[in-house]
Amino acid sequence: MRDVGDKAISGGAEAKAVKMLPAAPPERWRRLLAIRELGVLIALIALIVIFTFLQPAFLTLDTFGDILTQAAELGVAAVGVTFLMIAGEFDLSVGSTFAFAGVLLALLVTRFSVSPFLAVPAALLFAGVIGLLNGLITLATRIPSFITTLGTMMMWRGLALAITGGWPISILTASTLLDVLGGRAVYSTLRISALWLLIVTAVFWALLGKTAYGNWVFATGGKREAARALGVPVNRVKLINFSVAGVLAGTAGFLQFGRMSSMSPVWGDALALEAIAAAVIGGTSLMGGSGTIVGTILGAITMASIRVGLVMVGAPSYWYTAFLGVVIVLAVILNVKLEETFAWRR
Amino acid sequence: MATVARPAHPLLEARGISKAFGKVQALVSVDFRVGYQEVVGLVGDNGAGKSTLIKIITGVHPPDSGQLFFEGRPAHLASPKEARALGIETVYQDLALVEQMSIARNFFLGNEPIRRVGPLPLLDGATMHRRTEQALREIGITTLRSASQDVGVLSGGERQAIAIGRTMHFGAKLIILDEPTSALSIKETRKVLDYVGQAKRRGLSVIFITHNLYHVYPVSDRIVVLDHGRKIGDFARDAVSIDDLISLITLQREPAREA
Repeated sequence: MRDVGDKAISGGAEAKAVKMLPAAPPERWRRLLAIRELGVLIALIALIVIFTFLQPAFLTLDTFGDILTQAAELGVAAVGVTFLMIAGEFDLSVGSTFAFAGVLLALLVTRFSVSPFLAVPAALLFAGVIGLLNGLITLATRIPSFITTLGTMMMWRGLALAITGGWPISILTASTLLDVLGGRAVYSTLRISALWLLIVTAVFWALLGKTAYGNWVFATGGKREAARALGVPVNRVKLINFSVAGVLAGTAGFLQFGRMSSMSPVWGDALALEAIAAAVIGGTSLMGGSGTIVGTILGAITMASIRVGLVMVGAPSYWYTAFLGVVIVLAVILNVKLEETFAWRR
Repeated sequence: MATVARPAHPLLEARGISKAFGKVQALVSVDFRVGYQEVVGLVGDNGAGKSTLIKIITGVHPPDSGQLFFEGRPAHLASPKEARALGIETVYQDLALVEQMSIARNFFLGNEPIRRVGPLPLLDGATMHRRTEQALREIGITTLRSASQDVGVLSGGERQAIAIGRTMHFGAKLIILDEPTSALSIKETRKVLDYVGQAKRRGLSVIFITHNLYHVYPVSDRIVVLDHGRKIGDFARDAVSIDDLISLITLQREPAREA
């Protein structure tokens, strides 16, 4: 940046005018461009404009409720995945943890009549243990977490199918538990799950950006040896984050259970890749060391908007997958280009 | 030069240090000392034993024989952590900085200041920024816009400055710089040499390890030459010229090869 002036002088007056521009941007612009979620914000706004143009009913509170409902379950799981990706690891098993923990909760409260006050913490603890196991296997054997969790993804999916015989487990009567997890609220299409999403987002946003632990997470994923040399307990950070990914995947399963009054062992089979997609759309690096929780939530809302929007404009549902694929690639290209162009911004 | 009352003993003293790795004798009865507020250039060709000596001083390896004294007291360093607790800090070539994180976040990594909001221990961002910017000004960096810049956009010299400033800020007494100028431009190198001078003026001692006599000569008070694990020279800087040092290193090499 400091060389720009020297080069510009030899490059003549026009070159100088052009090249000086990025060197001294107004403070206000610099701050806007410094927002790490800029890429996903642009993508989301563009999608909203397009869908509203095609179907004016898209821009209503009802639609917003639908989108938040979709985004809540994906978003909660994706926050955990993001937290782990920033620390430099993957969890492909979150979809299976989602299903297993959801089925476990459903079984406990239905077949074993366990009080929800006991069943919810127990099932969450189990989800955390699933995550912790992923971490222990990965760190003890030094195989990539991509492989560890590919294996545990299949294992926990298989176990969920085995303990249910492949059948969904339903609650057919009125249930406070279901209402609290995913019941309707305030207006017709909005659900309590949106509140859970808000809470999870706030907690992990604060944890990552406003605590010493958050600093350790970035450092662990950014340059593990440097973090270790400065006294950061990198292995403990990874184990904690693996566990968090498990707990939040389980939580997402509970939200779906609340919304559907039923939990099927086959649900969530695409969740892991969708959660990673939400994270990378929101600017999280696949290499670890950078990412934001708000970006991931915006990524999840973007994906939910595509799903709801395509239905509203009358596109057959299979277009969702194709369209989503295009959006993922475009959003990541946008993120990378913004990062390259405005590397000076911070 | 500052005239502070100094203790009779040096800050660091190594007596008769020997170390072998298998059949390779890396160090042979080396005496080495660093005074208070002294910059010592540690030079020698590849394989001379510079890194081994440093690893013994920083607690990475124990010596086979010989003794270490720090601030006049015997020091038995079982780990780098113990060396750091005494105030011996190393700034490595790869710097221990995380590119994706801001300067302030790097500066306080592992030592984060906390303020309590109710029961919650939160990162004290304002203090981090203020103290980082203050520390960087003290060491003489004026080119950085703010401590919230990512380390990834900084030059090699600026990164060196941050790594050196960090060790100074957290109470190091002896800073060991391992080839700090090997990957830098001439301009950047000059800046890093300035930082070494700043560290000394602020009362610290520095061991400056390098191949490049031209970098170490202007900032050193004393220059120690190692060759094949032995100390072959220990000169006050003013008592020796660069040419003397070069011929010492190269002449020592020739018979060694023929033998």
